[in-house]
Amino acid sequence: MNCNAWEERIALYAGGDLAPAEAPAVERHVAECAGCQLLLSGLRESMGLLREAHADPVEEAHLAAVRARVLSELERGANRRWRLGWVYAMAVAAMVLLMAVWPRSSKRVAVTVPPAPVVAVAQVPRAEPLLPAVRHRHRPRKVVVKAEKPAEPLVVKLLTDDPNVIIYWITDSKGE
Amino acid sequence: MALALLAMAKAVEGPDARARAIAAARASDLAAFETVMRQYERMVLVTALRLVGNMEDAKDVSQEVFLRLYRNLGKVEAESNLQAWLYRVTVNICYDLGRKRRPSVPMEDVPDPVATGDDPQQSATGAERRRVVQMSLRTLSAKERAALVLRDLEGLSTEEVARVLGSSEATVRSQISKARVKMRDFVERYFRRRV
Repeated sequence: MNCNAWEERIALYAGGDLAPAEAPAVERHVAECAGCQLLLSGLRESMGLLREAHADPVEEAHLAAVRARVLSELERGANRRWRLGWVYAMAVAAMVLLMAVWPRSSKRVAVTVPPAPVVAVAQVPRAEPLLPAVRHRHRPRKVVVKAEKPAEPLVVKLLTDDPNVIIYWITDSKGE
Repeated sequence: MALALLAMAKAVEGPDARARAIAAARASDLAAFETVMRQYERMVLVTALRLVGNMEDAKDVSQEVFLRLYRNLGKVEAESNLQAWLYRVTVNICYDLGRKRRPSVPMEDVPDPVATGDDPQQSATGAERRRVVQMSLRTLSAKERAALVLRDLEGLSTEEVARVLGSSEATVRSQISKARVKMRDFVERYFRRRV
């Protein structure tokens, strides 16, 4: 008789996992088949041995070791969070302090800015290669001329785009 | 000391007491968490031991299970079955460890038994036979081993095992029957080699 077909059902039967409707057929087969009787007794024996081994008491030292490791890890984590909390609190306090001080210091800066000197300033664009006549006017962007006294020579300071080049134009009152 | 442990164990008996302990643990009460841990530590450690096969790895697995429990106390509080949650996490961590270490031992690697008498089955001491049966667990696939350990050793029903493993009951039945037959075959072959 081919007993391979019975193997799975006998294995389930050994652990009480077979559907009640199927159990009588397995019992009938096992009663007639010596090989399957050996299989069933072998299954029951190995399952019993495994259960015995599993029921062995676990040394308290192992349990205590796991507990200690877990609690120490959690305490370390709590300390880290506590320290991190302090860092955040300090950062927030520093920001609040900075915001409280900021408006006063910005006013002070505004007061201490010196007034712009009154100078005759003329800005001349940097010398460029020849371009079409329409674009080549060389008109200074900004010319401010201030004569301090009409009788004295007129000094015109021309600032170019190049900070190293400053042109002073000294002329008499007639512009010669 | 024993009385204190007993008192602590009693403190978390019943769903209400356990819920209170978990709520306290969520509020960073480590003593409350230790109380919860004490109730389940043996279950987690021995399950891990059968799944990974050695105590050092089992302790690492247990540690990771309880750290995950602490991090997920909110979810666990909502889930009524803490035990099933712990089994599921234990099995998953053991799977991860198994993928890294490949613990299965081929039959050829199993050490030869020491001959002590004429009938090997009879003469083998109880301790040795238990050791061989435990060794047979390592010849199973990870899923077969998990199904067998949860059903035959932890005493869960096939329905509960299926829920923990995220499989169907039919799959679990098939895994359990194959695992039982493989385990029995291993023991038979082991002792036959002694003759």
